[in-house]
Amino acid sequence: MNRYLVAAAASVALMLVAAAFIFFFAPTDALQGPVQRIFYLHVSSAIAAFVSFAVVVVGSVAYLWRESIVGDRVARSAALVGVVFTTVTLVMGMMWAKPIWGTFWTWDARLTSTLVLWIIYAGYLLVRRLAAPGRQAARFAAVVGIFGFVDVPVVYFSVTWWRTVHPGPVISTDALPPEMLFTFLFTMFCTLVLAAVMIAVRYRIEALSDAQPAAQFVLQAARRSTS
Amino acid sequence: MRSIAIALAVARKDLVSEWRSRELVPALAQFVVLALVIANFGFQIDSINAPAIAPGVLWLALVFAGLVAFGRAFAAEKEQASLEQVILTSAPAAAIFAGKALAAAALLVLCEAVLLPALSLFFGTPLSLALAAAVFLATIGMASLGCLFAAMVAQLRAREVMLPLLTLPLWIPFIVAGGQAVQVMMGGGGSYGQALWLLIDFDILFVVLTSLAARFVLDE
Repeated sequence: MNRYLVAAAASVALMLVAAAFIFFFAPTDALQGPVQRIFYLHVSSAIAAFVSFAVVVVGSVAYLWRESIVGDRVARSAALVGVVFTTVTLVMGMMWAKPIWGTFWTWDARLTSTLVLWIIYAGYLLVRRLAAPGRQAARFAAVVGIFGFVDVPVVYFSVTWWRTVHPGPVISTDALPPEMLFTFLFTMFCTLVLAAVMIAVRYRIEALSDAQPAAQFVLQAARRSTS
Repeated sequence: MRSIAIALAVARKDLVSEWRSRELVPALAQFVVLALVIANFGFQIDSINAPAIAPGVLWLALVFAGLVAFGRAFAAEKEQASLEQVILTSAPAAAIFAGKALAAAALLVLCEAVLLPALSLFFGTPLSLALAAAVFLATIGMASLGCLFAAMVAQLRAREVMLPLLTLPLWIPFIVAGGQAVQVMMGGGGSYGQALWLLIDFDILFVVLTSLAARFVLDE
């Protein structure tokens, strides 16, 4: 069995253990009821998404600075994984918001900036697709990746003027009972492992497709003829 | 010093070519007035709701006019295959970029000189120097980001679609802060001074960042 398969199986197993903790170990929230259990995976995938995008920035800077092809591949892989986790965060957040806030969406600073994050990195993936493969795609995408990462805190900051309804940080203020805290930290750990494994697998795919320029060319031609 | 001279020369070239053809500014001016007409029918404007709706209409018209103006700044060069020649000169990319952004911003300011009085005329909102100052500060940042990504998408396929997709999310801070300032001037609550300082901060941040990024975009 190859090591990617082992890593993937292990990370899925870890997520299942985390699910067991979320549903059977963590106590039910007194005010919100069972809906609160969304919190564990929602916040964990938000953190995994931010970490992935931070990896995109590191990879992009490495590429622009040193033309590091490894940096570019890492950025490519992490951007896709980050978009996946941002999608999970947004969808789970909306599922939680409907029963608790009475609406799926509100233009709160955190929601707005997360949505902007999703849009920017979805744009990053599009730039990769539309630019000429190789140096141009890598450079343009790196610029988009870095600007996106700078823009999101700025969006967050500028929207914070309006009253924000999103629950504030609960970890640093000791508001969580120990069972909940343990479940959260464990879920976060498992989610980060899953994200790391996904990035590694994606890196392998990118490396293989870089090594096969002929296959890449056929793929591009096929895309061009269909679009 | 040389960079500034190059930037001014590039800006002058773009403005002269616009002055000779007079293509973009009349079209943009007509476009923003048309946007106000459409907004009037879309929102059922009357004297009571106009001050609440006017800031939103102002920014929507400006954002879309900006996308066209900045898109043209590089698309025209690309069509005439002059972009490669400009890049091939020994001039630093940041200086070329600054010149293009300066000219595009100047064209957008001309277009604002039509938009703001027209808004005041059709929506009955007050027109003041403070309002123009906020819009002008937002234009600087929007032009620097818009031109950077216009330079990028001019070299991509599907450039018409990609420019708004990449630029609009990055313009949000300017629209939030600028929108706040305009709302205060049109009778809404909040602090005008705070919004103006934020606009200046965002301008500095993005002008510096885009100048640094220019050489990665204008290099093929």
